Amino acid sequence: MKIVKAAAFFVFALILVIVLNTKFGKIPPLLRFLDPFAGFWQNAEPGEINGSENLAMKGLKENVEIVFDEHLVPHIFAQNDYDAYYAQGYITAKYRLWQMDFQTRFAAGRLSEVVGPAAIELDKYQRRMGMGYGAENLMKALEKNPEMKAIINAYADGVNSYIRSLSPKNYPIEFKILDYNPELWKPINTAYLLKMMSATLAGGSDEFYMSNILKKFGKDVTTNLFPDVTFQDDPIIPKGIKWDFKPIKSPVVPAGYPLNTTDVHTAERREGIGSNNWAISGEKSASGLPILCNDPHLDLSLPSIWFQVQLHTPQMNVYGVSLPGSPCVVIGFNQDVAWGVTNTGSDVLDWYSVTFKDASQNQYKYDNKWLNVKRRIETIAVRGGKTIKDTVIYTNHGPVVYLDKQKPKQLRRAQNVPTGYALRWIAHDAPNIDVATFYYLNRAKNYEDYRKALTYYSSPAQNFAFADNKNDIAITSNGYFPIKWKEQGKFLLDGSNPVNDWQGRIPVEQNPTVKNPKRKFVSSANQVLTDQTYPYYLGWEYAPNDRAQRINRKLTVMDKATIDSMRLMQDDNYSVLAENMMPVLLSNVNRENLSASEGEAFYRVRKWNKFYNSGEIGASIFEIWQAALKLEIWKDDFDDTDLPMRFPLRARMVQLLLKEPNSKWFDNIHTPQKETMQDDIEKSFKFAVDSLERKFGPIGKSWEWGNVKSRPINHLAAMPGFGSKKILNGGSSASINAMSDNHGPSWRMVVALGKTSTGYGVYPGGQSGNPGSFYYDDMVNTWMTGKLNTLHFMQTPGEKSVKIIRTVNLKSK
Amino acid sequence: MKLFVLILASSFLLQLFLPWWMIAIVSFILSAWLATSSKIAFRAAFWAIFILWLAVCLYQTLPNQNILANRVAQLFMLPDTKFSWIAILLVSCLLGALVAGFSGLAGYYAGQLLPKQTASNKA
Repeated sequence: MKIVKAAAFFVFALILVIVLNTKFGKIPPLLRFLDPFAGFWQNAEPGEINGSENLAMKGLKENVEIVFDEHLVPHIFAQNDYDAYYAQGYITAKYRLWQMDFQTRFAAGRLSEVVGPAAIELDKYQRRMGMGYGAENLMKALEKNPEMKAIINAYADGVNSYIRSLSPKNYPIEFKILDYNPELWKPINTAYLLKMMSATLAGGSDEFYMSNILKKFGKDVTTNLFPDVTFQDDPIIPKGIKWDFKPIKSPVVPAGYPLNTTDVHTAERREGIGSNNWAISGEKSASGLPILCNDPHLDLSLPSIWFQVQLHTPQMNVYGVSLPGSPCVVIGFNQDVAWGVTNTGSDVLDWYSVTFKDASQNQYKYDNKWLNVKRRIETIAVRGGKTIKDTVIYTNHGPVVYLDKQKPKQLRRAQNVPTGYALRWIAHDAPNIDVATFYYLNRAKNYEDYRKALTYYSSPAQNFAFADNKNDIAITSNGYFPIKWKEQGKFLLDGSNPVNDWQGRIPVEQNPTVKNPKRKFVSSANQVLTDQTYPYYLGWEYAPNDRAQRINRKLTVMDKATIDSMRLMQDDNYSVLAENMMPVLLSNVNRENLSASEGEAFYRVRKWNKFYNSGEIGASIFEIWQAALKLEIWKDDFDDTDLPMRFPLRARMVQLLLKEPNSKWFDNIHTPQKETMQDDIEKSFKFAVDSLERKFGPIGKSWEWGNVKSRPINHLAAMPGFGSKKILNGGSSASINAMSDNHGPSWRMVVALGKTSTGYGVYPGGQSGNPGSFYYDDMVNTWMTGKLNTLHFMQTPGEKSVKIIRTVNLKSK
Repeated sequence: MKLFVLILASSFLLQLFLPWWMIAIVSFILSAWLATSSKIAFRAAFWAIFILWLAVCLYQTLPNQNILANRVAQLFMLPDTKFSWIAILLVSCLLGALVAGFSGLAGYYAGQLLPKQTASNKA
């Protein structure tokens, strides 16, 4: 009897231990997670990080001194390149290790390894898009570039020396929640990170919708609604610039293009991820020297996509933001120059049809011959499941992303892939090492150095704005741009005909650029790059012009500009879109038809100043009104479940309202009567008022734009409780302060050039990636209120003017 | 009291280097050796770990102003309040204490199986 009792209690206690040490679904192993000695409690950091520390580091060549300022920005003082990038890797890993691990796994299609079967289709998608293929090509190119290989390896050494120093209780909290261990960092992870940026910024395409539209409406309508030149365009390179180079002859458009294609199924692409940058010449600034500004707009998340750092060696002193996972500073400044980037919407991704010889799919047609396919086998390890082998067919164009029946219905990001087509994408090529551009910009002293640095860059193409203390300013739309015939890749292409291939590369020195233009400033806001005189075709779809127009208007009249006038401009919430649309909208609402609350709303929106400030009620009404109007105009014609299409660009709608009030597109084809522009405008106005009323009650304070728009910045893996508080600022996608949904200014920087540069900046997050740190989101408030922090550009580690909270000395051993 | 102090002290020392389930082994062995009744075994182990974990949790979370524990509370679907961390604190300590308590109990009954004189010597 005693034995039974003893055995029963023993087994019960044992089961209790095992159950509480095991992960069930999304629930972490409970007691391992809640254990105060090694669980999450260990990630709770006490207030301010301070003190000083000496660490012996294997592999370091000389000693490195790192000082942290009050925002936990590391200022790294090293004696040589190797040590500088080693230290950058070490420190970045110390504060962002889980983010680095997660982003790499995401890009490489290795999430199933840690989260299980739920991520299999996502992993397959990443691999089938050729992320691994592209990253491996970059690593091959790296072999031919020992200098860049050395810095990428140095960075990896630093990351790994941090990982080796960890015991499980020090793992970042996300490892404990998801219950896996960090693995050593490989140089190819840096390549994956860069490929992920290409996927985010240059991975979109809508050839499929365009081909469907062409099929349904024919050539005339397609050209009319989807023109290559947009209404009221204001290109980055000012109109009328003379191109002083001899262009390579562009190929002519082949007969029979575009093809009429089979049906392809897609969903609508989300409207642009954008950014702003500009630089003014000394003639417009109070100091007499240039000021450069940049605010790249990306999905906002915690931890932030950016990590601030200063790198100092005897040959270099640079400050700015880096991407966790890659060496060098991506956007920043040094003693003599400053630079910033915005995304370039040029078309560097095309889809080619594949004609297989037979069901074996071993050969495909090209140039009237049958060529052999290549097969790449992707091996996906799955936590709690069997390892999967996924075979991807490659033609000379690239991977055939999905064959018939391979495309998963539930994965949204896969829906814009045309089944049976091969992907030709610049992110698969590695003509050079993109990191080299940043390596040389970090060391640049003047305009010539800037131009040389740009030649190493291929993807994702960016508009690089530049300013130096010799009073030169410039902007270059830079990257690998394939030479194309007009509208090549606007629609799906026939992969069997060589005439449809990319015809080489636009010589990098012929990429659109301008230096010291007459207007005394350069700027970009993702709009079209050039006017029609540029001798090459670059693409047809760019971000709407609203932000660019506002920036250029303000800069044109800017005089004696200071840091503060630039800062206020970055935070400007004015909407050119509203300015353009409001007169037509207001004059087309018959006030006699309005209910009391609609009348009140109409009064508010009529008196609205067109600023999307957080306290404006008019902004909320207009925003929903114009979005509803867009649907009212296009949805009946372009929403077809059997033939998915996209809507025309926003600028085309504005043009319709201003110039073509009798257009047939205002009519709803699903109703017997004929709707006019006025009908559409009134209907969408009533819809806007009604939806605001239902969600926010009677018109009043809760209708204010800040409240209507408010949402928190979420955790990178959307873990509940790990986001920020609700953001209540202003801004809109058509304002310079381009806030919308979950994306917006991910970094704001203003740099005044001079004998020494002075920089100001902030991003919505904090330097530490630990949700249990005071430095996890300490800059969110500064960012939300439109203020900037002083960026301490230090000359020596002991500078008295900077508040140093912590010192770390890395000693070589 | 002796049992309580011994479990608390040795769990503290071992947990500095070893995984959390050391508390089960410690409670089991010490109770097998020292506990004079099942009630004493459960209570001593339960309260030793409850108090030990409470102290270490507070040591970690108070200087942190409970920021992380409040975030973790939301991770477990608790509302976003200033005091949600207390729920996580109590659940942590309670679960640890229960594991220790039942391990102590199992230890006590295992101890009963040992030859009588050894058990009485130790008691």
